[in-house]
Amino acid sequence: MKKIPKHIITASILCIFVIVAVVYLTIVFRSQHKEEPIYPGPGVTDMKMLSTWFPALKGTNGDTEVYILDSGVPGASMLVLGGTHPNEPSGFISAVALVECCQPTEGTLYVIPRANNSAFTCTDPQEAAPMNFTIDTQNGTRWFRFGSRATNPVDQWPDSEVYVHASSGQQLSGSETRNLNRAYPGRADGNLTEKIAYGITSLIQQEDIEITVDLHEASPEYTTVNAIVAHEDALELASVALWDVEDYMSITVEKSPKNLHGLTHRELGDFTDTMALLMETANASQGRLHGRIDADLVVSGKDKYYARAAKYGAVTVPYDETGISLSERCARHISCLVQFAEQYAFVGDGTGMSLGSMPSYKDILTNGIGYYLADPQ
Amino acid sequence: MDIELICLLSMLAVFLLANLLLKLPVSVSMILGAIVGALVGGQGIPVRHLFEGTFTYVDTMLIISTAMLFMMVVQESGALEALNAVIVTRFHKVPALMLILLMFVIMFPGMITGSSTAAVLSAGALVAPVLLMIGIPKEKAGAIIAMGAIMGMAAPPINIPAMLIGGGVDMPYIGFGGPLFLLTIPCAIFSVLFLGLKYCRNLDIEKLKEGLDTEVGKKYGFKLYLPIIVLIVLLVVSKAVPKFPQLGTCLIFLISAIVGLFTGKRFNFWKKSLEAMETTIPVLAKLMGVGMFIQVLTLVGARGWIVVSCLGLGMAFVYISTFTIMPAFGAISSYGAASVIGVPFLLVIIQNTSCNDIIVAAVLAFTCCLGDLMPPTALAGNYAAQIVGLKYKKVFLNCVIPFLFCIAAAVAVIFNTNALSFLSA
Repeated sequence: MKKIPKHIITASILCIFVIVAVVYLTIVFRSQHKEEPIYPGPGVTDMKMLSTWFPALKGTNGDTEVYILDSGVPGASMLVLGGTHPNEPSGFISAVALVECCQPTEGTLYVIPRANNSAFTCTDPQEAAPMNFTIDTQNGTRWFRFGSRATNPVDQWPDSEVYVHASSGQQLSGSETRNLNRAYPGRADGNLTEKIAYGITSLIQQEDIEITVDLHEASPEYTTVNAIVAHEDALELASVALWDVEDYMSITVEKSPKNLHGLTHRELGDFTDTMALLMETANASQGRLHGRIDADLVVSGKDKYYARAAKYGAVTVPYDETGISLSERCARHISCLVQFAEQYAFVGDGTGMSLGSMPSYKDILTNGIGYYLADPQ
Repeated sequence: MDIELICLLSMLAVFLLANLLLKLPVSVSMILGAIVGALVGGQGIPVRHLFEGTFTYVDTMLIISTAMLFMMVVQESGALEALNAVIVTRFHKVPALMLILLMFVIMFPGMITGSSTAAVLSAGALVAPVLLMIGIPKEKAGAIIAMGAIMGMAAPPINIPAMLIGGGVDMPYIGFGGPLFLLTIPCAIFSVLFLGLKYCRNLDIEKLKEGLDTEVGKKYGFKLYLPIIVLIVLLVVSKAVPKFPQLGTCLIFLISAIVGLFTGKRFNFWKKSLEAMETTIPVLAKLMGVGMFIQVLTLVGARGWIVVSCLGLGMAFVYISTFTIMPAFGAISSYGAASVIGVPFLLVIIQNTSCNDIIVAAVLAFTCCLGDLMPPTALAGNYAAQIVGLKYKKVFLNCVIPFLFCIAAAVAVIFNTNALSFLSA
């Protein structure tokens, strides 16, 4: 076998270059640990960490804020998960909007904007995604983190070649080991991702959460998109909510597959008493067909290659040159959340839930989601 | 002309210029291609992206490094020579059966780990001297090892591209065993018999024995094989017994290598380890270059241009691309082919036809695996060539007919998915 020839001077120059690059990149990558500010609105009555419900998370990068919006009026409780996948920003921004402008008038709302906090601190290799994006509000511009689909490998590594879901034995690609939405119901003695899932499951069990909604995005070519996926126990709630929202948006309800394990809509429905739902909107920055990727694509949702692919019949949602903006995606999430809360009284145990006067789908489309976020000042 | 296409052409042009004309290493050429692509795409020199792209292959690089140490220990301890002697003396009377068994031995680590690299560097390295000893030319032996490793990577129970494609469409990894066995076993048998049978029809065992070292086996006995046995046992147990601690392929290679230090001939571990690592650094560098290249392809939008252009040419071209562009994408990464091309192609095929989706996914995964033959990355091919002491070009040429046979098998299966749907039940 051929030996590598030794070039001392070249090697020395390269070593110096590598040291400089490593120092610079350490600063760049460490900067991802800085969290964007979230300004609790008038509806927020308490903020706890997830470790309150599962103390083993305390001090880890998996611990995360849980905002509690108690209306003071007895009623049902709902948990909203944003940021399960931090590369799906409409879920995160919708959750932030709830924290900053929602004032429930009946029942209690729990919001976790950064469900997988660790995944906000890195980006996915090969995806070339931006590290953050900005949204214009009424009085200035706010920045938000764009993260990874999976837990930061600095917090949990290495992955095995094959990920075996603990409670079902289902096998998936090893890259799913750090995917929070393949880890439910979680394990108290598992890896960090499984512990986060266990913490969320514990919160649901200990607080008797009646409705849980996990907010996601999918690429426009994905089969389950512009959709509500519901556990069989939550199917009626999803269907009733659909009656109202389908007047102004195209959306479908899909039943949670019984043979696909680890996801919120399957495991939280099976392992807890909550009505488990998951929502998907179409995010062009997430798929495999997009052109140049940057923060503008994340926010505007405009991509010429997705528009071309739509003409070829290769995407599953209506898509043209105008794109699908972050505001539109958040509007879909927020409108459905409002309906889940309102309709629960008719399909649940009789207790009510209301998110108060949240902006309508049309309002968000007209004014943009930034209009409903807090002033950065 | 789309700017994304201009970026793509610039990257390919600089890569070829640097590699073929300036004779720079593949890894450096890919880095230069990535930098020029980013500059043309208006991204400046994206240090963060260049660095982040290399992390795609960190796990693969660790597997390669630890597998190289294992291979070195097995060679230096004398286990390899002893094993060769046993195989040749036991099976020389039925050469076809011997070749098929050797092929299954090459495939085995790939079947368990889903990695062709692990297969080449473990079983491939063990079998290569046997193939050479029985008279198979180096280039044919290298091709057998490369094809065997790829068939092992594609064969069940573990097929990572199938998992990646399935993960992209929320398809559980269930029902893939039948279709993948149907694709891989006949192709593996054809490959090894086509490449090797004519050279070992009339083996002269007495002549062969002259080249075999039977003394080392007698001196150390059974314990000489312990590192290989430990490797097999740990690979199987860690996959078959869910409650067994997940050691990971790297640690399993390391544990097996450490066992080998005490079971046979003594040697200078430090010196031999450095030699082993020196030979593998160019391949690791190549992987890092590929990681940078694909990250910049995505950054400037060239990845999207490639995939959408394929989709735009209609269903017929989707099928043609499945059997041409998808394995060719393995020149960059076979896993990348599964994720970048496999997922949209599967969605388009199942949305526009009534094919059995599991079998279509299995065929796509199988063709992705064939990409590990494609230079410059050619993970399976490059190491197979290195093991038999040749440049990859000669080995690659000998893989062409088995490769075409595999493609023909995949074509036959994808157009008969409904008739074969019982395999995915």
